[in-house]
Amino acid sequence: MAERQLAMVMDLNKCIGCQTCTIACKQLWTRDEGMEYMWWNSVNTQPGRGTPKDWEKMGGGFPNKKPDPGRIPTRAEFGDAWEYNHKEVFYGGKGDKTHLQIQGQKPDWGPNWDEDQGAGEYPNSYYFYLPRICNHCTHPACLEACPRNAIEKNAENGIVTVNEDSCRGYRFCMAACPYKKIYFNQVAKVAQKCIFCFPRIEKGVANACARQCPGRVRFVGYRDDQNAPIYKLVDKWKVAIPLHPEYGTEPNVFYVPPLGPARFDEAGDLDESTPRIPTEYLESLFGPAVHDSLAILKAEMEKAREGGKSELMDLLIAYKWKDMFGGFDRDPASIEWVKAESTEG
Amino acid sequence: MRVQYDPKADSASLLDPGSKIWNGRKREVLELMGAPAGLQPSGAIRAAYADQKIGAVTSVSVSALHDGEVIAFRLEWQDPSDDASIGDNDSFPDAAALAFPVHEQAPMILMGAPGMPVNAWYWRADDGEKGRHVTAEGLGTSRLLDESLVKVRGQWKAGRRALVISRSMQVGDVPGAAQFAPGEPSRFGVAIWEGSHGERAGIKAFSGNWKDLTIDALPEKGGN
Repeated sequence: MAERQLAMVMDLNKCIGCQTCTIACKQLWTRDEGMEYMWWNSVNTQPGRGTPKDWEKMGGGFPNKKPDPGRIPTRAEFGDAWEYNHKEVFYGGKGDKTHLQIQGQKPDWGPNWDEDQGAGEYPNSYYFYLPRICNHCTHPACLEACPRNAIEKNAENGIVTVNEDSCRGYRFCMAACPYKKIYFNQVAKVAQKCIFCFPRIEKGVANACARQCPGRVRFVGYRDDQNAPIYKLVDKWKVAIPLHPEYGTEPNVFYVPPLGPARFDEAGDLDESTPRIPTEYLESLFGPAVHDSLAILKAEMEKAREGGKSELMDLLIAYKWKDMFGGFDRDPASIEWVKAESTEG
Repeated sequence: MRVQYDPKADSASLLDPGSKIWNGRKREVLELMGAPAGLQPSGAIRAAYADQKIGAVTSVSVSALHDGEVIAFRLEWQDPSDDASIGDNDSFPDAAALAFPVHEQAPMILMGAPGMPVNAWYWRADDGEKGRHVTAEGLGTSRLLDESLVKVRGQWKAGRRALVISRSMQVGDVPGAAQFAPGEPSRFGVAIWEGSHGERAGIKAFSGNWKDLTIDALPEKGGN
């Protein structure tokens, strides 16, 4: 167990599924060879099959407090990296006689294949977006599964990383992670995953996915910082809750569950008596704590609507962008970044 | 098991599993057993293999030669599938290794123990002819010494794999490396990982407790 734990809260009521977080992460961390199919940050539409496809059925973690071996997702299940005819289109001199096309076998799945499908019947169809990164768990199944102790949980901040010098590419971690957030690099032959932007964190800069988010969805900071939003949302107001707590790994990414819009009744009038997003569905994702979370959100929202002062609503609105980052609010442009030297040769 | 001395051998022919230098050599068949699930170093692995067979390869035939400088082991086993590369996240390459105790009391089944190292000469199909020289002091502790001292060459044909793993008998002051000398007894073990069965790390077939190794002495000089 780490002395302190960095954490993230994502407010699902504000996520618009724009994937800016996904691209921010991709640009920063997963552009090397062998990383083409990796999305350390992904955003999927819920209800949906997610990334990798049907990951919630792949096992892992500690259901019933015992390790479940789980299975390793394939590249195809992750959505793989499609090859395109970029050269031909951009440099082939063919003008508008050609266009971008996927090369090789036509894919039947991708990392965001079921975007905006959701569920329900018109006019009460519904969906919301679920951004996911590594949960930097307090009880990381990946770390526990590795026979080589190649996965480390930083004692000072709780960030979970793969030590690529120790990793032999055995991939027990990929099977054990119940959130299926670990990838295998076929070129480097090691497991790779979200590093919670620790080189930025070390310099006081919030994670790229959080800083780049146009929707002000993501809060960052230490769990125990009572003056910062994470503590207030998770421990004080108890509206931010982990995804699939039953997996038993104690995630340190928390979600403010989506309230969703009101239903229409048969006459076409708004019906507030039952939620459009079935609460049972949200409970299947976030466990029974979702009931209290939604109730608190509704009550505080109502209070604010009536002109009252709500600390919770003010926090979630995030009037001051920098206040979301628990002190990790330094501008990355103010730092001279030095590219790490390759460990190869 | 005897390591025969052959003065006509050179390192190139020793390293070639198809070389005629290996023809007619005595082959010792070692029965292999699966590594016990209960000894695996993590709860997830123990849970995964509690009811699953470990050790797809059940025997290996071994012959060994030396030329006074280099010691070479030729392994041959039934290997229905040539798993030479990592095709997908859930596929694993074939692999094999020889192990030698560096410390008198080093337990083979645990790949050594703290303060009691084991030296392993490791080959993995996706590494081509790059051998790994490894030391370990317990399961999951293997540490790469170098990728230059251990030479490997393999061939796969019609469901059989032949592989030579060789190294100089003496490698100077390399902590964690076993040293050999003509006429000096030693001990060894073999491990084989069947990639198509997802075998990797401690999930392997191995030859049980250490096997004795008798290394032919060099003939007396000028003794004709």
